[in-house]
Amino acid sequence: MAKDHRAGSKVKGDKLPAIVMASDLLEGDTVFLAETGWTRDSKAARIAHDQESADAMEAEGKAAAAANAVVDPYLVPVEITEEGHPLARHFRDVMRQKGPSIHPDMGKQADFGPIA
Amino acid sequence: MYRYDEFDERFVRERVAQFGEQVKRRLDGSLTEDEFKPLRLKNGLYLQLHAYMLRVAIPYGTLSGRQLRQLAKIARDYDKGYGHFTTRQNIQFNWPKLKDVPAILDLLADVEMHAIQTSGNCIRNTTADQFSGVAADEVEDPRPTAELLRQWSSQHPEFVWLPRKFKIAVTGAEHDRAAIRVHDIGLRMRRNEAGEPGYEISVGGGLGRTPMIGKVIREFLPKDELLAYVEAIMRVYNAEGRRDNKFKARVKILVHETGTEEFTARVEEEYAKLDGPTVNAPLEEVERIAAYFAPPAYEDLPAESVTLGEARKADAGLDRFVEQNGFAHKQPGYIALTISLKPIGGVPGDMSADQMEAFADIAERYSLGELRVTHSQNLVLPYVKKDDLPALYAELKTHDLATANAGLVTDIIACPGLDYCALATAKSIPIAQEIAKTFADDARQKAIGELPIKISGCINACGHHHVGAIGILGLEKGGRENYQITVGGDATEHASLGERLGPGIDAEDVPGAIEALVETYLSEREGSESFIETVRRTGADPFKASFAGFIETRAAQEAAE
Repeated sequence: MAKDHRAGSKVKGDKLPAIVMASDLLEGDTVFLAETGWTRDSKAARIAHDQESADAMEAEGKAAAAANAVVDPYLVPVEITEEGHPLARHFRDVMRQKGPSIHPDMGKQADFGPIA
Repeated sequence: MYRYDEFDERFVRERVAQFGEQVKRRLDGSLTEDEFKPLRLKNGLYLQLHAYMLRVAIPYGTLSGRQLRQLAKIARDYDKGYGHFTTRQNIQFNWPKLKDVPAILDLLADVEMHAIQTSGNCIRNTTADQFSGVAADEVEDPRPTAELLRQWSSQHPEFVWLPRKFKIAVTGAEHDRAAIRVHDIGLRMRRNEAGEPGYEISVGGGLGRTPMIGKVIREFLPKDELLAYVEAIMRVYNAEGRRDNKFKARVKILVHETGTEEFTARVEEEYAKLDGPTVNAPLEEVERIAAYFAPPAYEDLPAESVTLGEARKADAGLDRFVEQNGFAHKQPGYIALTISLKPIGGVPGDMSADQMEAFADIAERYSLGELRVTHSQNLVLPYVKKDDLPALYAELKTHDLATANAGLVTDIIACPGLDYCALATAKSIPIAQEIAKTFADDARQKAIGELPIKISGCINACGHHHVGAIGILGLEKGGRENYQITVGGDATEHASLGERLGPGIDAEDVPGAIEALVETYLSEREGSESFIETVRRTGADPFKASFAGFIETRAAQEAAE
């Protein structure tokens, strides 16, 4: 089967800090790995500041995909805003984190207010 | 319009039930994503950036008011209140939930619709001229052919696992409005010297990362031999098309690498071996299908409408709407109308559930209950009485459906791009919105005239950028969105691929660059030449020069800032 999406983040070079993003199986929307389980609010996403934590989180993501909770989890390099929230560094990941740029009334930006 | 027979009905219902079971098994964990993905794609269900996306087939772009009303219901109950018409004359819903998809498919089946073969390596929806059956320049109505191909290609056991997807388009008119030369198979209905009906057949057109114009492999194929000949083409492709490399798997690569002459010889050889009469549709079946597309009971009307003439004099907006969006009808007293889904600043091809419902009513009252979807992401009312136009125009206006820009610089094709699509490398819709705002002035648009701009947000070219008079391709460069501009592309009977003007530019510079190209056209044009006609005469050089000048000016401005 042909690959029908571009997997993984496109950030080059240093990939930390990072969060884990995936699609929810049932709803198909973006979810973020939290301290426990998954959240739809990226402000509550768990942040990996070192490689060991990032590897552990990626493994948690893959386990959740294997358990059919989420689809296509991957590590997303972020910067930390002044408020301490993660913000994806690549514009494609930002689009997933916020919602469509043409519809501020849809997606996470609508459900949880301005992301950053 | 064609209506399902008992076989169509049963087939679609069975598929809905089957997919319902597959979704259940996915949700209870019996199917992994890797197992489920090929199954969902067989039913038009993708997973995009923010949600699942369901692509629904609209055979040759023809819809009834009843069907559009059902699409409105789905948009309202299971999506976020809108749908998106595509460059393949289909419709996509951007926000369905996996658990709801079987219910959506049931609603579609209620109105003889489905999402089968809108994805995957199979024969996709056969597309056709949006003015089929009504165009004044038509030789023959292509819809019975498109419907025959739909039935033949639906779950054809030999062709459900091709090397890659396969797209067929048909036109029956002199002027090609179906972009047949950029399809895997393009069919042009024509007559031979004896006046007998048949097809000119081209193969191996396509866009994407390796754009090609289709090659004519048969100047004339008698009409009743179509299915056997197409089957011969499919067999050669199925056997010899590459399966080792996804990017070289389309039939255009096979035709290119084999050579047109050799490819043609192989098709003819295969065709000679086929037992035509067992493959071609029996005459009574062809006639049964054709009967659904018989001309409607037109009223006997004078060619010109006094009512419309007077109304046009009194209302400049109506006059302009008819001039720009009206299309010559073969029946005296009637007109076909393009309904633009490109309001200034809107999302090309998007339609709200409210608009769909209102438009379903309009189609029923003013166009014998039928509408069409165009590959330019607009709609068409095919059977409008000129006498009705003033009242119809007033209604269209109240639903924001009276934008008089068909074919103009603001009637832009744009793929969903990075706002939705998991494949995209850059945004596409916001670029279209900014260009449309830049050229919003009606008088300016009219002065510029016909200018198809086409935008794709990645190399796969769903926005047909290669065949835009101006084409725009969004890519990623150095962690930023970057846009390449081409001129000279054409999707009509003069099919040609655009030529790149220079290095890629930032999103914010695109409208300015387009203005520079338009200025070049206005200064270079002779007489009433359209943009593409001027490019054809002058070549790309004057446009390359003004593009380079634009980039230089921008660089100087940035250095000064």
